Amino acid sequence: MTSEHRDDPPNLVGSDAWAREVLADSEHDTGLGLAVARDAQRVVAGEMTEEEFRRRHHGAYLEAFGVDARPSLDDGLAPPDPERSRAEASPADRGPRDIAEPPRPQDTDAGDDGGPGEPATVPRRAVLGAVGGAAIGALFFGEMFRRNASAGEPPAQGDAASARGDGTARAAGGGVAPPGKQLPVQFGMVIDLERCDGCLDCVQACSDENGLSEGVLWPYVLSYQEPQDVDPRFLVRMCQHCTKAPCVMVCPTGARHRRLADGLVLTDYDVCIGCRYCQVACPYGANVFQWSHPAVYGGSFQGDGRDSRGVKVAGDPPMGVMGKCTFCPIRQEDPERRGTASCVDACAMGALHIGDLNDPESAPNRYLAQRREEAGGNLPTFRLLEGLGTEPNIIYIGQPPSAQAELIDGPFDYEDWDLTEDRRAVLEGPEPWFRRLAREG
Amino acid sequence: MATTQRPSVDETGDSALTATILRPLGRPSWRWMATLAAAAVGLAWFAQAWVFQLRYGLIVTNLADWGYVGGIPWGFYVGSFIWWVGIAHGGIIVSAAVRLFGMDTFAPVARIAELLTLAGLANAGLYIVIHLGRPDRVVSSILPNLPQTIQTSPLAWDVVVITLYFVLTATYLTLTLRHDLHRLAGRLPRAFTPLYRLLLAGHRPGEQAKAERMAWWLALGLIVLAPFFLHGGVIPWLFALLPGQPGWFGPVQGPQFLAAALASALGAVTLLAYVLRRVYRWEELIDDRVFRGLSRWVGLFALLFLWLQLQKVVTGSAMAPLSIETAVDAVVATPLYWVALAMLAVTVAHVGVQMLAPQRFSVGRTVAVAVLPLVAILIEKTLFVVEGLMYPVFDLYEGVPGSYTPSWVELSSLVGALSIMVLFFLVAVKVVPLIELKEAES
Ligand code: SF4
Ligand code: SF4
Repeated sequence: MTSEHRDDPPNLVGSDAWAREVLADSEHDTGLGLAVARDAQRVVAGEMTEEEFRRRHHGAYLEAFGVDARPSLDDGLAPPDPERSRAEASPADRGPRDIAEPPRPQDTDAGDDGGPGEPATVPRRAVLGAVGGAAIGALFFGEMFRRNASAGEPPAQGDAASARGDGTARAAGGGVAPPGKQLPVQFGMVIDLERCDGCLDCVQACSDENGLSEGVLWPYVLSYQEPQDVDPRFLVRMCQHCTKAPCVMVCPTGARHRRLADGLVLTDYDVCIGCRYCQVACPYGANVFQWSHPAVYGGSFQGDGRDSRGVKVAGDPPMGVMGKCTFCPIRQEDPERRGTASCVDACAMGALHIGDLNDPESAPNRYLAQRREEAGGNLPTFRLLEGLGTEPNIIYIGQPPSAQAELIDGPFDYEDWDLTEDRRAVLEGPEPWFRRLAREG
Repeated sequence: MATTQRPSVDETGDSALTATILRPLGRPSWRWMATLAAAAVGLAWFAQAWVFQLRYGLIVTNLADWGYVGGIPWGFYVGSFIWWVGIAHGGIIVSAAVRLFGMDTFAPVARIAELLTLAGLANAGLYIVIHLGRPDRVVSSILPNLPQTIQTSPLAWDVVVITLYFVLTATYLTLTLRHDLHRLAGRLPRAFTPLYRLLLAGHRPGEQAKAERMAWWLALGLIVLAPFFLHGGVIPWLFALLPGQPGWFGPVQGPQFLAAALASALGAVTLLAYVLRRVYRWEELIDDRVFRGLSRWVGLFALLFLWLQLQKVVTGSAMAPLSIETAVDAVVATPLYWVALAMLAVTVAHVGVQMLAPQRFSVGRTVAVAVLPLVAILIEKTLFVVEGLMYPVFDLYEGVPGSYTPSWVELSSLVGALSIMVLFFLVAVKVVPLIELKEAES
C-alpha cells in the first residue's frame, strides 16, 4: 500500500461523496420517511391516533416496497402473547434437533408471520430505511420511530421488545436479548486446542470471507510456551459471544447487542458511534476498531452485511465503527449454512466446531461428547477467564495458559499468509500539511 | 466580603465598588484584543487538527487496538475528558459551598467558579465528541436508545449527568445573575441588550428573596449529588465497573477522583481569580485572603489525593491478587506518575510552610503552587487511563504492556480546549459582571 494511496481516501466527511455514501447506505425513500416523521410528530402531539397513522401510510409502504409487513394491519394490532412466547422460550420444551434444520427463530415466528420460512427481509429493511430517512430530520421523535419500527417485528420476537423496551428501528428493533439472559438457542464453539497446530488457516479464511482491512485479525492464534514444555501451545482467541457480555452492557447506543435468535453478540454498524467502550470493557481484547477508511487500508467486504432483521452486522465495519468476530451471523440464518463458519470450514485439523450449545445434538456438543468418550471421561476443558463472570460461549478442550506462559513465535507466520500481525505498523495516518511543508521546503 | 476600606456610597446608591465590578464591561483594551487573537489562533489550530481527524479517521491519533498488538484504545482524549469534568464539577461544588456553608471569603470568586463550570462542562462534552469514531451519529444513536442503555452503560450515565449539570449550573448562574442585571440596568453595554432581556424575562422586582431560596436549594442539590453523580460516582465508575482492568478497580477510585476534581478546580479558580485581579485591578474585591483560603483548600485536597494514592499503592503492591499487583507495580514504575505526585506534594508542603510562617505570604507564589495540581492531575488522569489498559487481566498478548504517546492531533485538542476556555472568559468578562453585586453592596 503506497502512501499516496492513503492520502486520498475515497470518501471524505463533509464532502458530497460522503453524503452520497451515507444516503446510499440507508437505501431509504426520503420523501416517505419525512411524511412518516411529520405524522409521527402528530401522533406524539396527540393530533392523530396510532391507528390512523398506520392506515395513512399503509398505501405508501405498499407502493414503495411492495408489501407492508407490519403485523398491526393484518392481525388487528394483537399484542404478542406473553404466555406463548415464554412457553416457546423454554429449553425444556425442545427436543433434540439436527443442526442442519432451518433456523429456529423462524419455527417460532412462522405461526404469527403468516408464512413459514422466509424472514421478512425486504419490508423490514424498507421500513427501517424510511424511518431512518425520517430520523435525519426529526431525531427528536426517536421514541416514536422506535415504536413504529418495532411494530414491524414478528410478534414472536416480542420477547425482546418486552425485555428491552420497544426497541429502536435498528439495533434494538426486536430480535435483541438483554445481556445475561439465558436463551433457548445459544450459539457457541468448541475449540480443541489439543488438535490446533497453529496453522492460521482460520485467520486467513475469516479475513477473506469478511474482507477485513489490513492487520485486522478477528480470530487470533496465540502461540505460547509453558515453562515445563518444549513444544509450543496455541490459544485460538476470538470473540467469546459471552452470555453476560460486558461489551453489550457498556455500549451507550445499543449498537452492541445480543441477537435473540441465537445469542450471537453483534454490532449494528449503522448505530455504533465508535466510542470504543466495548473494546475497553471486553476482557479478551476481541474487538478491532476501524481506525480509517477500510477501502484505503485493504478492506474489501462487498456484501450487504444485513441479517434477516435488516441490521447491518456482518463484514468489515465502516470507518469509525467497531468490529470483531461475528460467528458469521448471516450463515447462521441460512438453513443451508447454519452451523458453519468460515474459520470452522477452513480448519483442516477439525479443531473448531460451531453450533447451538443448548442443543445436545449440535456439532460442538457431539464433538465434545465424542472427545470425552475417547478420553475416558477425563477431558480437560475450560472457558477463558471464566472467573470474570462473562459467561463466555467458547468451550476450549485443553489447558488454559498459566500465569507463567510466555508468548513465542508460532510455527507459522502471519506474513506467510499475506496477513499483517502488527497492525500498528500499518496504522499510519496521512502526513499532515505542516510536515509535508517542512519536508518539501 | 470584607475589604480594608469601604468606599462611600454615591447619590445613585451605587458604591464605587460597583463601578469597579463594572470596569471590564467597557471598550476592549488592546490586551483583550491580543488575547482574543491568540485564543482564536489556538482554536483555529485545533479546528484544522480535528478536520484532519474527521477526514481520515482516528488513525491520526496514536490509539490502537489492545487485543493483539498492544495498543491503547483510550488515551489522552479520555484523560482530558476526566480532567475537564473534574474542573467543572469542582467549580460548581466550590460555588455551592459558598452559598450553603456561608464561606463568605470565597464569595467574590463564586461566579468565576460557576462560569468555569459551564466552560469546563462544554469542554468535557467536546472531548466525548472528539473521542468518537462517528461523531456524526452522536445524537441519533445515543438519544433514542437512552431508555435502554441508561440501565447498564456508564457512558450513558455520563452523558446524562453532564447534561444535567450543565442545565443545573446554567439555571443556578441565571438565578444569581438576574438580580445583578436588574440592578445594573442602564449601565450595561447596549450591544447585549437582547441577551439581558432574555435573561431577565419575567423578572419582578420582588423576586430576589425567592431566587435566593431557589439558588440555595440548587446548591444543596449539587452538593448532595456530588459524591454519587459527579466525580465521586459516575465518572470513576466509567472505569471501576469493568472486569478486565485491575488498575481501574477499587473502591478508592470514587474518593480519589473527587479529591482530584476539587484540587484541580480550586487550582483553576485560583489562577483565573489571579489573572482577573491583575488585569482589572480588583485587589480590593479579591483580596489576599481569598488566595490564602483557596491555597489552603487546594493543599487539603491535594493531600487527600496523595493519601488515597498511598492507599492504592500500599494495598496493591503488598499481597494483592496478582493482576492488581501487576497493575499497581506498573504505575509505581512510571516516572511520570512520580512527577505528578511530586507536584502535588510541593503544593501540600507550600501550604504547610505558609501556615508556619504566615508573614512570608506571596500571592504570586501561592498562585504558581496552586496551578501545580492542575497540571499534575491531567498527567495522572491520562496515566490512569493508559496504564489501566496496558495491564489487563488477560496479559498473554504480544505487546502487553503496550505503548502510547499522544499524537500531535491529540495534543492539539488541549490547545483547542484551553482556547475555548480563554475565549469563554474573554466574552463573559465583557457581558456580565464576574463578581456578584451583592458583594459590593454588603
Ligand atoms: S468476548 Fe468480548 S467482545 Fe465478545 S462478547 Fe465477550 S465481552 Fe463482548
Ligand atoms: S464502539 Fe460502538 S459498539 Fe462499541 S460501545 Fe461504542 S457504540 Fe457500542
